[in-house]
Amino acid sequence: MSLPEFQKNYFQLFDLPEDFALDQVQLGKRYRQLQKELHPDRYASGSAHEQRLAVQYSALINEAYATLRKALPCALYLLELAGMSKEDISGQQIDGGFLMAQMDLREKLMLLGELVDPEIALEHLVTEIGVDVNQLHEQFSCAYAVGELSAAASACVKLQYLEKLLLEAEQMESKLIDSQT
Amino acid sequence: MALLNIAEPGQSPLPHQIKRAIGIDLGTTNSLVATVRAGSAAILPDEKGVMMLPSVVNYTDAQMPLVGAGALALAAQHPADTLMSVKRFMGRGSRDAIGDAQRSHYRLAEGEEGLVRFMTSSGERSPVEVSADILRVLHKRALATLGGEIDGAVITVPAYFDEPQRQATKDAATLVGLRVLRLMNEPTAAAVAYGLDSAEQGVIAVYDLGGGTFDISILRLHKGVFEVLATGGDTALGGDDLDAALAEWVLQQCGSPSLAPGQYRQLQAAARAAKERLSDEVAVDLDLTGVLPSGGAVRVTREVFEGLIQPLVKRTLGACRRCLRDAELDTGIDNIVMVGGSTRVPLVREAVAEFFQRPPLVDIDPDQVVALGAAIQADILVGNRPEGDLLLLDVIPLSLGIETMGGLVEKIVPRNTTIPVSRAQEFTTYKDGQTALAIHIVQGEREMVSDCRSLAHFELRGIPPMVAGAARIKVTFQVDADGLLNVSACEEITGSQTSVTIKPSFGLTDDEITTMLQASFSHAVEDKLARQLAEQRLAGWQLLEGLKSALAADGEALLSEEDREAITAPMTELQALLEGQDTNAIRTLTERLGRQSETFASRRMDKSIREALAGMSLDALDDEVMQ
Repeated sequence: MSLPEFQKNYFQLFDLPEDFALDQVQLGKRYRQLQKELHPDRYASGSAHEQRLAVQYSALINEAYATLRKALPCALYLLELAGMSKEDISGQQIDGGFLMAQMDLREKLMLLGELVDPEIALEHLVTEIGVDVNQLHEQFSCAYAVGELSAAASACVKLQYLEKLLLEAEQMESKLIDSQT
Repeated sequence: MALLNIAEPGQSPLPHQIKRAIGIDLGTTNSLVATVRAGSAAILPDEKGVMMLPSVVNYTDAQMPLVGAGALALAAQHPADTLMSVKRFMGRGSRDAIGDAQRSHYRLAEGEEGLVRFMTSSGERSPVEVSADILRVLHKRALATLGGEIDGAVITVPAYFDEPQRQATKDAATLVGLRVLRLMNEPTAAAVAYGLDSAEQGVIAVYDLGGGTFDISILRLHKGVFEVLATGGDTALGGDDLDAALAEWVLQQCGSPSLAPGQYRQLQAAARAAKERLSDEVAVDLDLTGVLPSGGAVRVTREVFEGLIQPLVKRTLGACRRCLRDAELDTGIDNIVMVGGSTRVPLVREAVAEFFQRPPLVDIDPDQVVALGAAIQADILVGNRPEGDLLLLDVIPLSLGIETMGGLVEKIVPRNTTIPVSRAQEFTTYKDGQTALAIHIVQGEREMVSDCRSLAHFELRGIPPMVAGAARIKVTFQVDADGLLNVSACEEITGSQTSVTIKPSFGLTDDEITTMLQASFSHAVEDKLARQLAEQRLAGWQLLEGLKSALAADGEALLSEEDREAITAPMTELQALLEGQDTNAIRTLTERLGRQSETFASRRMDKSIREALAGMSLDALDDEVMQ
């Protein structure tokens, strides 16, 4: 099936500059505007072919929006557009200091359950990770701006580590909610 | 999982003619049907003026299933034949439904694929068939009130329903011959019912404590676009559980006698009535006549009742916390919408108000709000409203994943991803010359396959023999706007499409549907043929009308004369065929014309993108000027 717009990259799809510091308000507006035109609901009484096509377009717009609205997927997508493969990115050397800090954070997370007030401690930990995340966004942004792709990629890998840690923190929070109810 | 399309075709509707669209709330305890008339949504009552249809069916008489209040009256007399709260069993396997069945005193038969089937004195019934019997009554009511064929229906489902539960709901509508425009999430429907005359912008939380399920959704309303940010809940927690908690307590007060199924039903009904009265009164006497031989009454205070349901209410708040976190809000909640009869319980309202720190909205009847919202959405989807009026962007409630080595789950589409969504995953072979690959799809949040819901086993066959690891098989998972999954696969090196055999773990197979259709329709063969012809004509007509207006609008701009000719020639041909009786010829040509016009359709969609963004760029300029 021919879907010419599929050739465009996500930034072009929303007619926004190829940049890490995206105008999120504009992105949201354009996303909603496109869905208003192309969502399958708009073709609910159309032909089966039109409906199928609308599902594909609408899914593409959702995917593009999901990629650009969050920092890490957006950063990875920029690297991909710059010609880096997944292997190039995951193969980045990570400094030992960062890995040590990761292990510390993870250990703190694992020991949370034994604390008197695990929820407050979890909140602190999540805030702490948040600070690191923001710093890495900054690092990526600077490196990407001057074309230092390798440094930008290594910021992405570190962000992936932190993302995984946040996910585990989330699971821990779920467990805490469950244990109260 | 292609379904047989047996939508009841109406008369060829003329453009601009108001179409008949309905919204159906197929509830655990009660069901309702609504429509939009003269611009506002209203519930359709039965001939006695009663709006709610109890979701109860009695099968004592094989010829005449009794639905609604009449069936409810027989619940105590014929407990195993009177099926209530069947929604709890939709799309579930018998193994995980045993507990619920025992509590309800149903006799279960092991169906094919481990599907739940109830044994009644007039034969086995599946939850899908029971739901279809309820839908049939609502459909008839709509036909009688609206005076003609229904062009389309929106049926609501709990946001937390997984894919087999959604599929089962759609199957039930298929059995009745209803054309389902969309399966809509209940909380989203409620937000729509409120949203049209409430604030233009803001974040809405919908707290939906139904008869058998609890749902929480957080939505952002933005100039007519409802964006669901997160959804969560518990499919096994609802008003029924509040009744059951009270019933258990009453039994304990009487020294825990063992009850016959009919007596237990009486007790449940008495507990429900007591719950409802306790919303206004501080103490009620629960009448035990018919429950215990001794009869008598047990006094229940609101305080005791609140103590009993406190843990259940707390469970709902836990789900609310999780959902709030998933929504990643940077602002607070502006409005809370209450849905479901159990939200009348004062403790529930207080707990919700305290949790969200603002009083919930209760202006619309919590029993009706879902059906009203569904009617509004049906009205839009069927094409009765000007474009750009309202759009819903919903999410998938539970993650979709596949089984990997060691029984672990790899998530492909995480929960709360906006639908429709399409995700591709690459697989390879692990043996030389391997030509088939088995894929197991699951739904759920847990890490182990055994803790998730098994959706389907796929067998990819016809992979060209290659050395291990050389094949690149791209499997695409597509979730449509109803939350239903479709899977396609392609070997990328050779470009050969591999055949996908779908074996639903729980859903109905197409064969089962066909059998049920044959069983449920007493139509003569001619009727069936006439029906097929009418359906094909409708499909052909829809395509022709769509193409005519598309060509008028964009034909010259987007197509060369040659391309236009390639579309208009078969159009003339199809127009002529539609006058005739040849169902197969109409089907073939409709298919061919549909394929031929795909490029045109996609060019038009591209044009929509450009135009939409051209408008946006002007908006952006405006914003800058404003600043």
